[in-house]
Amino acid sequence: MRPLDGIRVLDFTWVVAGPVTTRILGDLGADVIKVERKGSLDFGDRRGGLSGTLMRGKRSVMLDLNDPRGLDVARQLAAVSDVVIDNFSARVMTNLGLDYDALRKLRADVICVRMTGFGLTGPDRDHVSYGPTLQALTGYTLLMAEPGRPPAGFGYSYSDLAGGNLGALAVLAAIWHRRRTGRGQLVDLAQLEAVASLVGPTLLERGTDGGTSVARGNASQEAPGAPYGVYPCAGDDRWLAITVFTDAEWETFAEAVGRPTWTRDARFATRDGRVKHAADLDAHVARWTSERRAEDAMRLLQRAGVAAGVAADAEDLCAKDPALAARGHFVDVPTPEGRTVRIDGPPFLLSETPAHVAGPGPLLGEHTDAILSDLLGLDPPAIAALRADGVVG
Amino acid sequence: MAALDGLRVLDLADEKGALAGKLLAGLGADVVLVELPGGSALRAIPPFWRGVPDPERSLFFWFYAAGKRGITLDWRAGRGAEVLERLARSADVLIESERPGTIDVTRLRAVNPRLVVASITPFGQGGPYREWKSSDTVAQAMGGMLYVNGHKDGPPLRSLGLQAYHQAGIFAAVGVIAALLARDATGRGQHVDVSLQAAVAGALEHVPGFWHQAGMIQHRQGTLHWTRYFKVGRCRDGWVMHCTLGDWTSLVEWMKADGMGAGLDDPSLDDIKTRQAAAERLFEALDAWAARYSVAELVEGAQLRRIPYAAVRAPEALLRDPHLAERGFFVPIEHPDLGTTVPYPGAPFHLTDAPWRVARPPRLGEHNVAVYGELAGMAPPEGLV
Repeated sequence: MRPLDGIRVLDFTWVVAGPVTTRILGDLGADVIKVERKGSLDFGDRRGGLSGTLMRGKRSVMLDLNDPRGLDVARQLAAVSDVVIDNFSARVMTNLGLDYDALRKLRADVICVRMTGFGLTGPDRDHVSYGPTLQALTGYTLLMAEPGRPPAGFGYSYSDLAGGNLGALAVLAAIWHRRRTGRGQLVDLAQLEAVASLVGPTLLERGTDGGTSVARGNASQEAPGAPYGVYPCAGDDRWLAITVFTDAEWETFAEAVGRPTWTRDARFATRDGRVKHAADLDAHVARWTSERRAEDAMRLLQRAGVAAGVAADAEDLCAKDPALAARGHFVDVPTPEGRTVRIDGPPFLLSETPAHVAGPGPLLGEHTDAILSDLLGLDPPAIAALRADGVVG
Repeated sequence: MAALDGLRVLDLADEKGALAGKLLAGLGADVVLVELPGGSALRAIPPFWRGVPDPERSLFFWFYAAGKRGITLDWRAGRGAEVLERLARSADVLIESERPGTIDVTRLRAVNPRLVVASITPFGQGGPYREWKSSDTVAQAMGGMLYVNGHKDGPPLRSLGLQAYHQAGIFAAVGVIAALLARDATGRGQHVDVSLQAAVAGALEHVPGFWHQAGMIQHRQGTLHWTRYFKVGRCRDGWVMHCTLGDWTSLVEWMKADGMGAGLDDPSLDDIKTRQAAAERLFEALDAWAARYSVAELVEGAQLRRIPYAAVRAPEALLRDPHLAERGFFVPIEHPDLGTTVPYPGAPFHLTDAPWRVARPPRLGEHNVAVYGELAGMAPPEGLV
């Protein structure tokens, strides 16, 4: 069994953030029905890879929501769903007549999740956004930079992943609440707030000192420490993260690198000294790393007990990493066509009721007939009539 | 009533797993932070309130301990370990982040079969790297987040905030509630195994997918998003996030009205795939045009036209954001000992029938008498607190 066995999710989400939420619910056993329209966006192969990882284990029904009959099918599906979720901007579901007030008339204890950019209230509620614009608004883009250099930020939409993973937490909490109280509810998830909630202690610092944040490159944002950073290694674009905090860890590090002269520099003897002279220390460490392969330096340091890790590229991560492989993080999933596609699995392991990838991504409308017939009791001629009119596909 | 009202959580986690307990506390669980008698290591991490180092003034600790109650216990051996077991008997959840094997999870689960234990470790409970060390940056590196952030001619860049720890905390909280839901059916708890590295890998977007489907390695490319629809540009007074999705026609009309954007009314650019391919040229043209505007003017004009532009702001801008103010994102929390009230960042989402809870972090040992009494029917154990 899985924790969400028996839970049905009607999933209007698209792009990335919403699908991230519902893929976790699917991994946990929910029946996730993806409502799609003709020409729905995807990133290539829907079965595996990027799209398949977003849509893993879900079923797809294709509806024309601009046709009243298509909308009626959506409403009937909502009436038999525990969770209805979308990540459109605020007014879309209201305009479709599928907002919480409408849905609760169809099913009193429905959990309605609205994953908008800015939330359902507030002056900016109708603003449009994507992950990169939310990262810009919340400080990530500006502060992910080397000191004195232009902003770099994330190369991808971390905000979508952060909001998506937090969305799954919200749904689980709402399901728990419903089990205890019998009540459904509206979940107002503003992706702006989700990603803002993860900025961390910096917001408390600015809220109490009124100061100005400056970019500090790869310097520690946790306990003070040096060397703490990302250092160049031998080869093309190879890098190693090394993080040393305490004096004991520094001693271990110095021993592991063979106690060259610079490790005996009095300025580096204490943590305060190392942090104060971090730039000089980093230059020494970078010279040491640049003469070595990143993997060799990582193993040498880790065997001695120093936290060090290769800046993994896609191949390191997906094809070479033994720790992720041992956890079964990437899974090979058979498709109905007889292919096998590779998909990312859930990153947490449950010892008794494991979450797992239930299947590949669905083709567009793959499950339309099954869903209309099994859940709504429509017979083949009725489905054929809807299909002939382009209402379903 | 909060969502997780009535659930009891013992939180032994250090900074690697501290967000998990914070999230569960926000959802209403009674989260008891168990600190060693000398205090959590988080209390020594800067910054400090008004710059004065003090275990009760660490803003780092405040952020991660907000909403938790606090007790002290040297749980590491002997009688202390027995007391921990006694507390665990009346708990629903225990969160820990020790090296695998340090805490006897099997024993705790035998003592209380309904207990859900969440372990947050660098590489998980098993596998070849289970003894290896990590940190937020090492986990970001080995989880694949680091490599794709930064400028082409510079190093890979870590995130703002401890996002490896944060993702691990989120997945631990997800795993905990999933395990509690399963417990409704099975009557038994379970062990939730969270790896920092895997949590980071679970917060990637394009990196694994394009490897799986095309054997492609994604590289960092400055502020140009991998989809090639977003890039940072420069206005008269600051940085702005350009976007070539949304209402392209309106954007081009706007530029033309300003006498700019020559050639951008090419109908082939109505197709987003063409705009994707032409990204460099488009962002160059957009930058030449944006220079005449202030960030505020440009973003306001774009949003009026349903074009997703945004200001590139410092995090402190959130504290002055009227939208967040109206939604009550920051919650003023009183610190009576310091005679001050501090704006805490609040809910990541709103369960409208089960409000998010934000409360002051505990002073060291503040709830010893109450918690030992409620959970174990005992006074704080002498010599261990």
